[in-house]
Amino acid sequence: MTTVAYCHPLVPPEWIAAHGLQPQWLQPKRSPTAAQGAVRGACAYAGAVVDAADRGLAAAGLVLTTVCDQMRYAAAVIDRQGRQPVFLFNVPATWQTAAARQLYLDELRRLGRFLVQLGGKSPSAEELVGRMQTFAAARAALLAARDRLSPRQLAAALARLRSADLGIDGSMTSAFPFPGGMPSRGVAAGRHVSDHVEHAHPALRVVRACHPPPSPSRAPRSGRLPQGAREVVPLAIVGGPLVEKDFDLFDLVGGCGGRVVLDATEGGTRMLPAAFNPERMAEDPLAELARAYFEGTPDVFRRPNDALFTWLERELAERGVRGLLFRRYVWCDLWHAELHRFRQWSPVPLLEIDVHHDDQGAGPRIAGRVEAFLEMLQ
Amino acid sequence: MNDLPRRITMREWDDRYADLRARGLREADYGGPLRRHVDDGDDRRLLCLQLDNSPAALRLWNFLLTEEDRLGQAESQGKKLVGTMKDLGTVPVMAYALPNLVAFYPDGAWWLPCLMEDRTNLLAIADSLGIDESFCPVRAMLGAFVTRAHFPIPGMLTCSVGATCDDFSAIAQRLSGMGHDVLWWEMPHRRPPEPGEPSVALPGGFVAPASQVEFVRRELQRVGEALAAYAGRPLTDDMLAVGICRANCFRRELGQLRQLVFAAPAAPLPALEMLIAEMLAVHFCSDQDEALEVVRSLRAEAADRVAKGVGVLSPRAVRVYWVNPVADLRAMNLLEDLGGRVCGSEYLFCHAIEPIPEDLEPLEALARAALADPMVGSPADRAQRIAREIAVIGAEALVISRIPGASHCAWEGSIIGAVVRQRCGIPVLEIEVPPITDSIEPSLRTRLEALLETAQENRG
Repeated sequence: MTTVAYCHPLVPPEWIAAHGLQPQWLQPKRSPTAAQGAVRGACAYAGAVVDAADRGLAAAGLVLTTVCDQMRYAAAVIDRQGRQPVFLFNVPATWQTAAARQLYLDELRRLGRFLVQLGGKSPSAEELVGRMQTFAAARAALLAARDRLSPRQLAAALARLRSADLGIDGSMTSAFPFPGGMPSRGVAAGRHVSDHVEHAHPALRVVRACHPPPSPSRAPRSGRLPQGAREVVPLAIVGGPLVEKDFDLFDLVGGCGGRVVLDATEGGTRMLPAAFNPERMAEDPLAELARAYFEGTPDVFRRPNDALFTWLERELAERGVRGLLFRRYVWCDLWHAELHRFRQWSPVPLLEIDVHHDDQGAGPRIAGRVEAFLEMLQ
Repeated sequence: MNDLPRRITMREWDDRYADLRARGLREADYGGPLRRHVDDGDDRRLLCLQLDNSPAALRLWNFLLTEEDRLGQAESQGKKLVGTMKDLGTVPVMAYALPNLVAFYPDGAWWLPCLMEDRTNLLAIADSLGIDESFCPVRAMLGAFVTRAHFPIPGMLTCSVGATCDDFSAIAQRLSGMGHDVLWWEMPHRRPPEPGEPSVALPGGFVAPASQVEFVRRELQRVGEALAAYAGRPLTDDMLAVGICRANCFRRELGQLRQLVFAAPAAPLPALEMLIAEMLAVHFCSDQDEALEVVRSLRAEAADRVAKGVGVLSPRAVRVYWVNPVADLRAMNLLEDLGGRVCGSEYLFCHAIEPIPEDLEPLEALARAALADPMVGSPADRAQRIAREIAVIGAEALVISRIPGASHCAWEGSIIGAVVRQRCGIPVLEIEVPPITDSIEPSLRTRLEALLETAQENRG
């Protein structure tokens, strides 16, 4: 199957899959050439994406977005490399106007034409609805199980979900990293539309616009251990994208007596779309797809970006977070500029983790800081 | 006193000014000796600069360095101030169509650390707010909003976002977080039209899909409605059309000045004064009528010098095309000190120099002008435009001046450099120019010398 790579959660994998193509969530590795770019002020992540593309992706095309200026420029660099077609998805920074929402929808349509050029087939409404249901069910099931997964497992599962291996039955079983699969596996494979949207499926009823976590009875919250046990400090992490190696940070936190109970990085649960509304989905599935993604994802690049703080405020409280890891790439202006505001705003202690091009996952510098932070919180 | 065109120091300007006055120099109400900007305004960088010795240049510098007074006067006269951030050239045209509004760019604060040799404390304030030197020097704007010392806080702020540099977007967001109400308007990334998609030619030669022009037109309509509400009077198409005509008067005058100066065998005006003159196009330095007169004076001076066959630099000076404005004005002097001259420029806002179409519905015309911003499209498009200009004017070398910390500068240089090398076959140099270059001047000098020597060798 033809593969299309992408690396921003505002690109709906449902839309790629509905065209009969395989979405591939790009997880670039840090590279020496990215280090050269860092001298000039290039973001290590954007540099890694450029390097990955230059080495050659196992994909027929690459979709990048305009949510950050460095990636916008990176798209031009990759386009000049000429190794694969690049689609630059224009995601509006403003969100308040109907025009901005329409622009996002129009960009989805343009992406569809790009996908057809790559060999995809323009989907019928029914086909799109089917894909939306499948992904919605997978996301809902994953969210329902989040407290039974380690933070690394959850992050890995989200990454795999975004590059779902859509088998014959579309069940996406490979997205689930734990034995036995998900409770909704059968659901995803064969039940009706209404089972996968907010009005019908019990697990999805709570997955509203900003998908708050499952109810307390579903699973023990991290950090709430039996009396006498060593206290596990629940942490949240917020920031831009992680690469796979960065998942070491979750283990590091665990090894220091903490647990990341809220992954609010770019690839984490913060950037999952809102639940689909069944009536709107039946009426116009693409418009509903656009609404769920564009209006349901609070991010730092939005202007204004107050919704990010509103979302975090609620989530930190809901998940009993006692410390916040603020992770940023050294040359990422969008997150860096918000650090000061986060320090003033955060209801819990905050630790900045600035990541250079040569910081591999959780190196000694980062480890020392995280360890001290958790000691302070325990 | 010798009236031959020269670049002179501030000390020389003291004598020159006294002489000109004695000979009956007539000035505008903001006129006076340049020295006062050092003594009263603490613009100490002027002491390190070589300035053109013409009365026209005197007028230009005085006009530039009195903008704060002008804004204060406008406010005291009951006019309303609009801070138009980022779009560089479009929203001010709309604001000036309303007679009781005065528009200016708070972004302009980015030159204060240079002009005042960092005695403003603006960068230190930005530091204290978490906006450190990893950001573009435009972070000085944040400090200026805090100190309220360098421009009046406008009653209305607009900011274009979307396809804009992250530095500015992030800093403007911080302003919003500090309680300043910002009207955000979307500038989409200008993309190539798809096959068969209706497209529109933009001023300056770029092309955009008609749908993007329509999107920006609607965004500007939203901005226009907000401006009208702020002004307390309607903003009609007729008013906008008049505003466009007035802006075009300036742009055409500036275009003729550039043509005259860049094409002359010996540069009749220095690069520094030309850079300042181009900057006026962005918002007319808060006085549209006077800005036009200032540029007219410069053109008259340049024309006179060309007619006499004289200039401020040797006719043998290497013809250099310059990309991006410099955070330290001294860098423009340095190029000329070393035997170069600027014969073409692209200071990020070439869309503010191109005339706005007058045969279209005004908002449509403004939308086309806004989308012609070289920074909202692919850097490859920008590079092609630069290469076209280089070919036309016959530049012998290209300098790409990086702005420290600016997100686009990490990437664009390699693309622009590659395209120009390939298409024009001229030497290309990237330099980084911080707000004060004194500590790196030896290395800057060496690099520029190497470029100019290479270009000279290419003459054969």
